[in-house]
Amino acid sequence: MVDLPQKMVGIISCSGEGCVEGTISRIATLLVLEKLRPAQTVTICLPLFLAGGKEERAFARFFPTITVDGCEKLCAKIGTERYSGKPASSIVVTDVNGNKNCSTTGSKRKLDDQAIGLAEKVAERIAQEVDEVLNHWK
Amino acid sequence: MSEYLQTVFEKFELRVRKGYYYTEDGLWASVEGAKVRVGVTDYLQRTGGDVAFVELVKPVSTVQKQTGIGTLETAKTTVSLLSPISGTVEEVNGMLLEKPELVNSDPYGEGWLIILTPHSLEDDLKSLMSADDYFQLMLKKLEAEHKKPESK
Amino acid sequence: MNSTTQNKVVVIPCSGIGKALGTVGREATYEVVENMRKDVTQTICLALLVSGDEESVQLVQRNKCITVDGCPLQCAEKNVRIAGGDLAASLRVVDALRENRGLKPKSVAFLDSDGQQLTRAVAEKIASKVDAILGA
Repeated sequence: MVDLPQKMVGIISCSGEGCVEGTISRIATLLVLEKLRPAQTVTICLPLFLAGGKEERAFARFFPTITVDGCEKLCAKIGTERYSGKPASSIVVTDVNGNKNCSTTGSKRKLDDQAIGLAEKVAERIAQEVDEVLNHWK
Repeated sequence: MSEYLQTVFEKFELRVRKGYYYTEDGLWASVEGAKVRVGVTDYLQRTGGDVAFVELVKPVSTVQKQTGIGTLETAKTTVSLLSPISGTVEEVNGMLLEKPELVNSDPYGEGWLIILTPHSLEDDLKSLMSADDYFQLMLKKLEAEHKKPESK
Repeated sequence: MNSTTQNKVVVIPCSGIGKALGTVGREATYEVVENMRKDVTQTICLALLVSGDEESVQLVQRNKCITVDGCPLQCAEKNVRIAGGDLAASLRVVDALRENRGLKPKSVAFLDSDGQQLTRAVAEKIASKVDAILGA
């Protein structure tokens, strides 16, 4: 089998419907994938990964991963550790927000300006971690 | 020995079936006795996205090489399918009406599109690519994609 | 996650992050549980269920469930079944796409107008299923 030379990082986000931080986690991850580090990152679909998705598990086995969780349940981090190994880095949205929950408009999906601002902050943090991981992988 | 040439790009395994013939657009032709079966490559289905509709020419139609035999409509785009060879359409994959996702899940197997009786097989095959050549073309396309940040 | 509540239909999207249709399913679910049928529905995190969270498992076993999958891999449907959930209906966003031909949602993070239209169509389907389950 021929493999193209690639240095990439897998981002595994929770997309928890239970809290607005889950939405923030998702949006932040997508900002990194689509805008901030599109050539250096791929997304790992968490439900597919947990359910045994072949491609997701294979990628996570051979490439470094960064998990992004919305809450202390840490579904992305724990799942990654269980099925492929310790992630290179783990980010929790509430930690980025100074150990506070994000205030909401009452909806877990309609992000207000503060929540969008937090999503962008989390995205920057993820991007920094991507750079850090790739710098160590030389 | 594997039936496929394969590579991994990002998290996806992409395969090219050995022994088939290929167009640059990503259609394959497999000679089966006096007939030729036609389908799409792994690369085409992966880049096209999840197939929602497949529309194909009807049996008994005559098609010329590089003329339309149908379309794949996905969540992202509509892909025009051009025949790799000239021939008469003998059979169309009826399963794709109810299960268009077969094109994604099994592009070289159950996701086949049409079967033709070829009109000028020897000549037509000369202008198609071998599996090795298509594989190299696919690698070039993947490399070019990887270098383009906007392509995501 | 809402606290365990009897007799509320549980709507579970796959929330697949790799495709726009995953976002459509997620948004449609929220539209139903926060708006269209907010008194009789709730949602949970599929990842939490798959990782074996006891509260999530009990919720799907004790209540009627509707899954909403963004792609033919159908992670939500499969995993609710594995968890022993009472699966009353399973919807695929791609089927709504087949009924709304021409819509091509492009963006995954923030839905474009095609994505929003498709979301409304999927939300209507979910709401209909909820009504059928509750006998409304």
